[in-house]
Amino acid sequence: MLRRWTSPLGALRRMPGLTPGTRSLHRHLLLWLLLPQLVLWLAAASFTYQLADRYANQAIDASLSTASRSLARQVKPSGSGLLIDFPRAAQDIIEADPDDRVYYMVSTPPGEFILGNSQMPQPPAIVEPRLGQPYLYDGVIHDKNAADQKRDVNVRVVALYLAYGEPGKPQQMLVQVARSRTSREELARQILIDTALPLSLLIALMSVIVWGGIRGGLAPLARLRSVVESRATNDLAPIRLEAAPEEVRSLALALNTLLAEVRENVNAQKRFISDAAHQMRTPLAGLKSQTELALSSSAVCADPELQARLQLVHESATRSAHLVSQLLALARAEPEAAMAQSRTRFDLQRLAREVTAEQVPRAIAAGIDLGTDDAESPDGVDKPLQVLGNAMLIREALVNLVDNAIRYAGRGASITVSAHSEGDDAVVTVEDTGPGVPEADHERVFQRFVRATHEGNGCGLGLAIVKEIVERSRGSVSLQSVQPHGLRAVVRMPLAVIPRP
Amino acid sequence: MKLLLAEDDTILADALTVSLKGSGFEIEVAGNGAVAEYLLLRHDFDLGVLDLGLPLVDGLTVLKKVRAVKPTLPMMVLTALDGLEQRVAGLNAGADDYLTKPFDFPELEARIRALLRRAHGPVATPAVQTTGLLRFDREARRAIVDKTTLELSPREWTLLDLLLTQRDRVVTKEQIAQGWTPDPNEQNLGSIEVYIHRLRRKLEGSMVSIRTVRGLGYLLEAEGQG
Repeated sequence: MLRRWTSPLGALRRMPGLTPGTRSLHRHLLLWLLLPQLVLWLAAASFTYQLADRYANQAIDASLSTASRSLARQVKPSGSGLLIDFPRAAQDIIEADPDDRVYYMVSTPPGEFILGNSQMPQPPAIVEPRLGQPYLYDGVIHDKNAADQKRDVNVRVVALYLAYGEPGKPQQMLVQVARSRTSREELARQILIDTALPLSLLIALMSVIVWGGIRGGLAPLARLRSVVESRATNDLAPIRLEAAPEEVRSLALALNTLLAEVRENVNAQKRFISDAAHQMRTPLAGLKSQTELALSSSAVCADPELQARLQLVHESATRSAHLVSQLLALARAEPEAAMAQSRTRFDLQRLAREVTAEQVPRAIAAGIDLGTDDAESPDGVDKPLQVLGNAMLIREALVNLVDNAIRYAGRGASITVSAHSEGDDAVVTVEDTGPGVPEADHERVFQRFVRATHEGNGCGLGLAIVKEIVERSRGSVSLQSVQPHGLRAVVRMPLAVIPRP
Repeated sequence: MKLLLAEDDTILADALTVSLKGSGFEIEVAGNGAVAEYLLLRHDFDLGVLDLGLPLVDGLTVLKKVRAVKPTLPMMVLTALDGLEQRVAGLNAGADDYLTKPFDFPELEARIRALLRRAHGPVATPAVQTTGLLRFDREARRAIVDKTTLELSPREWTLLDLLLTQRDRVVTKEQIAQGWTPDPNEQNLGSIEVYIHRLRRKLEGSMVSIRTVRGLGYLLEAEGQG
């Protein structure tokens, strides 16, 4: 027990959450404000208590001394003896309080009982007791209570040595008065209660005020934290913090400076990637053109193996070009780029039909039946599906979906694009009867460079682009399997709310 | 026809030169913007193909300078930059067309020819269009399939004309209805199917077919394709 309290600071440090650097500011402040206050208050209380106790004891001791002196006066020396003038009434007064028993004894020479209770505890041995000087000490009296049972009473005793007798024959008298400590203990307890209760209230009130003060003081920090936490992961715009205290404002400023630097870095990187991709296109165009030329030369046409090889080279060039285009499309769909582009209200159904119509020749060339299937409204007029977003980017997303379907559905398959409303959403689906994608891959294929199949010239970015664009427009995209075989891509976007005139 | 090609990538420039020569054009190549500008201003060319990313003087500047002196010279921009801003900047600087790399050569050629045609006389649609065994004469207003003249009502004629103009591309029902009456209140999509059916019957044996594109409209193509 002793060892544990030898190092309170060490104990404090071992408490959970209090290793330096990990404790919360809140708790830290509370700890450092409340704990020392608590300790100081308790110390003050204990000091006050002891002071009050001492004064109370002094009062009691003084009264005991007075009682001993007045008792001493009742014992008058006469001649060579002692005349005891201690009327019964006086005795009764002294012994009146049953809760607070007073005992007394007169002995002369000291120790030789002549009057009072013989049970008086012995005074501490003093060789040359000073005369007329009260000595106060504690002792125990073995008493019997009303039912005649043995009872030990703690008492406070005053011992007074007095001299009497003729000059030639000096005598010493010992007057002792004892009082049970009950009243003292009562008093002590009363003092304790009287100080403890208001003290506890004070401590409780102070704790509440301190806690409230800390909370209020740290509130701007909590606000800053919630502002930062509610940020999207890619959002690097500056933090706006109105009416914040100095320290928090400078923190927010520092954060904004950091964000600006990061933003600049990210933009520089993006610009570099974009420039690099653009630069790659020229040599790729050269590669493609030269290969096409070679393929059309008579020497190559006469050599089937050479022709086949060159065809593969051409395919590789086409694939590379496609990859570069998709990379650029993906870069364009990123939030920083998209933020600079405008959002407008447009008809999603009309866009879907346009995109489909544009892709029909390609589908025919691939031997695929591409068409639309919009739910027709009774009067033959299609209700427009108004959405809010960047029309060019959404077009790119839809083109990618239809392009995917054409690439992978296979000859003889059919693809249907349809747009309709579902509750508060506008929904566009691209459904094909091709081989489809296994359910286990439905989430995976939206990742960059993940392809469901290794056939064909795709580069694995198409669905990633779609997902990026659609999600930036507050929509969602998902894949579903079609029976008996095929794939349905579902794009959902919130319908634009038409403002009331 | 004499073309100037401003392109600094030698491999691509070489491929383009050979291909365009093979299509019957005369080609001169400029490897940087300064030479391109000089040649375009000092010599006579029928068309200029400009890459935007040229050394010494960039393509956009050359374009602006040439445009200031020769406002009618057809100029096509051929570039890797496909962003909207670049496209708009190019067209605003005076480009007549904008093609991004990499491209398909046939498309480049078709666009060059389109620009040349535009410069040398407006011919939006050929007067006589032959598709398969169908000979469609817009001036004489006659459609002949293998020596037999087709009997076409006005609506059928408009429909066939539209389909032929947009050969190999989708013509939507809305476009057809609009071709018959521009007034949206009088448009009736339901009767289109009937007319298509009639046309199909009349076009039997012409090696021309009308394909139904589900939900969208129709597409005319020469048989033997796809």
